[in-house]
Amino acid sequence: MFLRRNAGKTVPLVLVITLAVMLIQSIIALINSIPLSIRTIYRYTDAFLGVSPRLDPTMTPTFVKTLTTNPPVEIEKVILCRASGAQVKSIVGKWPFAVMAMERADLDYYLQRQGAKGITGRFPKDGAPEMIISESVARNLNLKLGDTFLKPDDSENFSRMPVKVVGIIKADRWMMLSNKQYFADTQPIPIDFALIFTKDISKQGEYDRWAERKMKGEFAQLFAFHQIEKQSSEMFAVLYKIINLVIGVLVIVITTMMGMLMNIYQSQRLVEFGLLQAIGFTKQQLLKRVLIESLIVIVGGWFVGLAAARGVLLIAQAALMTPNAFALDVADPMALMYTVPVPIAILIVAIGTIWLRFRNFDPVAVVERRLV
Amino acid sequence: MIQATNVSLVYNDHEKKVFACNDVTLEVKPGEFLGILGPSGSGKSSLLYLLSGLKNPSSGTIHHHGKDLQSLNDQQRAELRKKHFGFVFQQPFLLGYLTALENILAISPASKQRAEDLLAELGLRDKLHRLPHELSGGERQRVCVARALINQPEVIFADEPTAALDHTNGEQVVQLLNQHRGQGSLVMVTHDPTMLASSDRVERMTEGTLVGR
Ligand SMILES: Nc1ncnc2c1ncn2[C@@H]1O[C@H](COP(=O)(O)OP(=O)(O)OP(=O)(O)O)[C@@H](O)[C@H]1O
Ligand SMILES: [Mg+2]
Repeated sequence: MFLRRNAGKTVPLVLVITLAVMLIQSIIALINSIPLSIRTIYRYTDAFLGVSPRLDPTMTPTFVKTLTTNPPVEIEKVILCRASGAQVKSIVGKWPFAVMAMERADLDYYLQRQGAKGITGRFPKDGAPEMIISESVARNLNLKLGDTFLKPDDSENFSRMPVKVVGIIKADRWMMLSNKQYFADTQPIPIDFALIFTKDISKQGEYDRWAERKMKGEFAQLFAFHQIEKQSSEMFAVLYKIINLVIGVLVIVITTMMGMLMNIYQSQRLVEFGLLQAIGFTKQQLLKRVLIESLIVIVGGWFVGLAAARGVLLIAQAALMTPNAFALDVADPMALMYTVPVPIAILIVAIGTIWLRFRNFDPVAVVERRLV
Repeated sequence: MIQATNVSLVYNDHEKKVFACNDVTLEVKPGEFLGILGPSGSGKSSLLYLLSGLKNPSSGTIHHHGKDLQSLNDQQRAELRKKHFGFVFQQPFLLGYLTALENILAISPASKQRAEDLLAELGLRDKLHRLPHELSGGERQRVCVARALINQPEVIFADEPTAALDHTNGEQVVQLLNQHRGQGSLVMVTHDPTMLASSDRVERMTEGTLVGR
């Protein structure tokens, strides 16, 4: 009742909490979108273990033999492909990406393994300078069917001949694929990459770890999704330390501000509490009333803040992220966790100050008008 | 019904002791209108707070129906004030965000009909839903009177209920209190003898003690 009749005092309190929660939630979700985007870009590597020789290009069959002998989980397929480098855009600049060139039959298996739902356009012809890319890549690099992507004069996205995009794969995952014959014809050093697929895709991670232990000391490079996850989390560890500090300071500042605001707001009501106590309300009843009011304000502000943050993030997603195929989690659970200390801290401060006020409180002083 | 025996209330005012009440013995009888008359600073308000359990005496005892008020805890005393006592203070204290009617229901949420009737009898029929700042001083004090009466208390304590009002309004408030108290007693503190014309008994107070004994 007090809250409703005193909207002028209540709304600013709710608003401060709303803004704080909105700020924290948005900042964290946006920052999280960086590693999330990177993980999304390289998500395709969780479907297989990649192996390439570091020193001797003829070693690939030996490695494959080692890695398919007594594996801990059943292996379904091994694909030998060729690869070259290209660049994609990310929120934090350009990132390397692999163009994988494989035979037509292997492409079919690979696309199915990656959960592709078909292709618009067509597959590359054997030996032709042609490639297919997935929808995310097309959006990210602003490529359409018929565009030329790899070029002889582009050192970042190099190929001996201009390579045309002839098909766009319907898939969420990021992929750049070409035909093995063309790569074999144009690459100066023939290095086969082996892609090893476990039968049960959910056991791929387990296999990857086993493979890493087994290949220790060999001159081979392994590519596995969990490595990318580890790298990206290491890369951002310092960033997150800074964020924790900033958010911590923000929570302290906002809590202090809110505590003071709430204190002023409750002081204005001492007359009310004195009167109510004089005419027969207990301190507990009044404390309970204040507590419920504070809870409504704080939890209300928190919810409105979360809703507002979601709005901001949805706008950011539509305007910034989706057009570039960057990933943003508008319901980021970590961001949500970061907002939790705000209402809790404010509630503690509010209750603390009110309790202190009530402890030595004489209703007579109010009734006698010695206060006000 | 309320029996004060040798009660004193001492304030420590810069080392010096101030006896706001000094060895007062007094009984409030059922159904009576007791006036307490005295000049400013004589300790009338203090006596009222002692009788109603808002303050604890420094010495002496207050019994309500034979029960020592000091033996009650905060909650029991609040309950006593809410259910059995009514209060009208010098200033017409109302909750500013509640209407006249809601101010009364705040004490006694179940008595809507009685609250409306009471306010009507006190001449506020058209003003039930006004906020306090939309009422005059006299009207506000009448809302306070209705609030004091709502639970049909055993005793109404009125501390200078007329002080903030002009003489006519003041007399009206006293009369309303007297008319509507039913079986309840009325203990009224004032420095204005004309306000006690309808009282059954008047005690005079100076410097913390009852005189004329
Ligand atoms: N909190 C306090 N601290 C110290 N002295 C006090 C306090 N409250 C009251 N007194 C003193 O106690 C005495 C009695 O005060 P009390 O308020 O009971 O008088 P009163 O008869 O009600 O006066 P008035 O008619 O002006 O309301 C006064 O001398 C006053 O100064
Ligand atoms: Mg007084």
